[in-house]
Amino acid sequence: MGFNIIFSSTGVINFAQGEFCMFGGLFAFTLAVTAHLPLVLAVILAILITGLIGVLTERLIIHPLRHISMLVMIIATVGASILFKAVGRIFWPLESNPLPQFTSGQVRLLGITVSRQIFWVIGLTAIAVAAVYIFYNRTRTGIAMRACSINPQAASLMGINVQRMAMYAFGLSALLGALAGLVNAPSTNYHIGFYLGIKGFTAAVIGGLGNIFGAVLGGIALGLVEELVAGIISSGYRDLIAAVILITVLLVRPAGLLGKRDVVKV
Amino acid sequence: MLEIRNLSAFYGRVEALRALDMDVLSGSITTIIGANGAGKSTLLRAISGLIPTRYGSICFFGKDITNLHADQIVGLGISQVPEGRQVFGPLTVLENLKLGAFKRARKTPASEIESDLDKVYALFPLLKDRAGQAAGTLSGGEQQMLAIGRALMAKPRLLLLDEPSMGLAPKVIQEIFAGLADLHREGLTILLVEQDAKIALKMSDYGYVLKTGKVALEDESCKLLENEQVQKIYLGA
Ligand SMILES: Nc1ncnc2c1ncn2[C@@H]1O[C@H](COP(=O)(O)OP(=O)(O)O)[C@@H](O)[C@H]1O
Ligand SMILES: [Mg+2]
Repeated sequence: MGFNIIFSSTGVINFAQGEFCMFGGLFAFTLAVTAHLPLVLAVILAILITGLIGVLTERLIIHPLRHISMLVMIIATVGASILFKAVGRIFWPLESNPLPQFTSGQVRLLGITVSRQIFWVIGLTAIAVAAVYIFYNRTRTGIAMRACSINPQAASLMGINVQRMAMYAFGLSALLGALAGLVNAPSTNYHIGFYLGIKGFTAAVIGGLGNIFGAVLGGIALGLVEELVAGIISSGYRDLIAAVILITVLLVRPAGLLGKRDVVKV
Repeated sequence: MLEIRNLSAFYGRVEALRALDMDVLSGSITTIIGANGAGKSTLLRAISGLIPTRYGSICFFGKDITNLHADQIVGLGISQVPEGRQVFGPLTVLENLKLGAFKRARKTPASEIESDLDKVYALFPLLKDRAGQAAGTLSGGEQQMLAIGRALMAKPRLLLLDEPSMGLAPKVIQEIFAGLADLHREGLTILLVEQDAKIALKMSDYGYVLKTGKVALEDESCKLLENEQVQKIYLGA
């Protein structure tokens, strides 16, 4: 989802998205475990700090390059990703920085044992998706961000500051990335960003690049396929699935399974 | 109200505007005619701050606006209805119109924006019937009305229009130009770029003929209408 928010408003594929997830998890760990803040407070702060990192990424790395070319901006996000990983390695050198589970323990549901964490994952994802949906459809800024993604030149003729909307897009997708990193990977390390990034990118591509809500369905589809393969064949293959699906979708249906094949231009 | 002096703009190394001078007087309709590729759209883009200019200056009410950002220029009171309408297709008609007021929405009471919306609906009643519809589903003429209405929602003092008649049936063109005439009567200053020189010169006070990025000819519109050269090249007489 974060991928698509940035892509649809700026045309940039943000390869540092996975590192936003990493920061979410690592900051929350430091705040909750090292600084002994209450978990809820630590989580909220971690998300906000990561959002700020997203904003700074746009201002300091992407914004200065906007006149050069899209490709250069995309390469810059790869650079940002490497930089963030290095920062992560310096400050959080451990392999595992486990955040306490939001509610520990397991429950039995329909005969299967699931961890309680899964309810947080589903619940918070649903809330985040609903919040983003409302933002994009009901608020002035959200609609302006959509206008920028539809036609940036016309948007600037409306008096919309397109660059500022790009900054918001980075901030928003960093917030969402942090949330995803937090609930999904209670045990985060400095190199988790790469795997999460690949998965997020795959979800975005399945849903159709630029299709913000398609990415959610893409993510669910990816998760289901991963679990099926892990269950039926072997869990060793799980992390391979995202890469295989990514390549297949890009080859067969580059617009994504839900992607519009023809974009209406007026 | 608008003074352009010695303006040059480039696309890469191609000079699209060459040392251009132009004035738009307050309360007038000024028109720019010229063949395809003469630089008409480029000039409007430069005024709106969509492309950078290299030399020269653009002043609006005495304030130098050369190379300000596009959104700042909207804030100062210059709105553009761009070539090809450029409505936001997936958004509804109402959302498009409200985006027109984006710049001033934070400082303006909602009731004022609602009443401006009613004024646009009064000018083009069709838009009211279609308010909830995606703009992309509108016909070309309706989209042009929407593009004009959207620009008006910014409450401009100067309205720039780039070929509003393009690709439309004569009856629809009439309707749109009648709307523009109404706006002018209410005091709006208009800078109109047109391919259709006849209709443009008939409704305007002053005209410029653009040729390869330069002003080739300028005069009062009624005189341009009678100018032999203009008649031969642009009026097809
Ligand atoms: N985006 C662009 N990149 C390069 N050249 C352009 C671009 N847009 C217009 N031009 C060139 O600038 C000149 C003026 O174009 P334009 O202002 O669109 O003319 P008009 O609106 O009078 O038809 C033309 O020669 C055109 O080829
Ligand atoms: Mg043109």
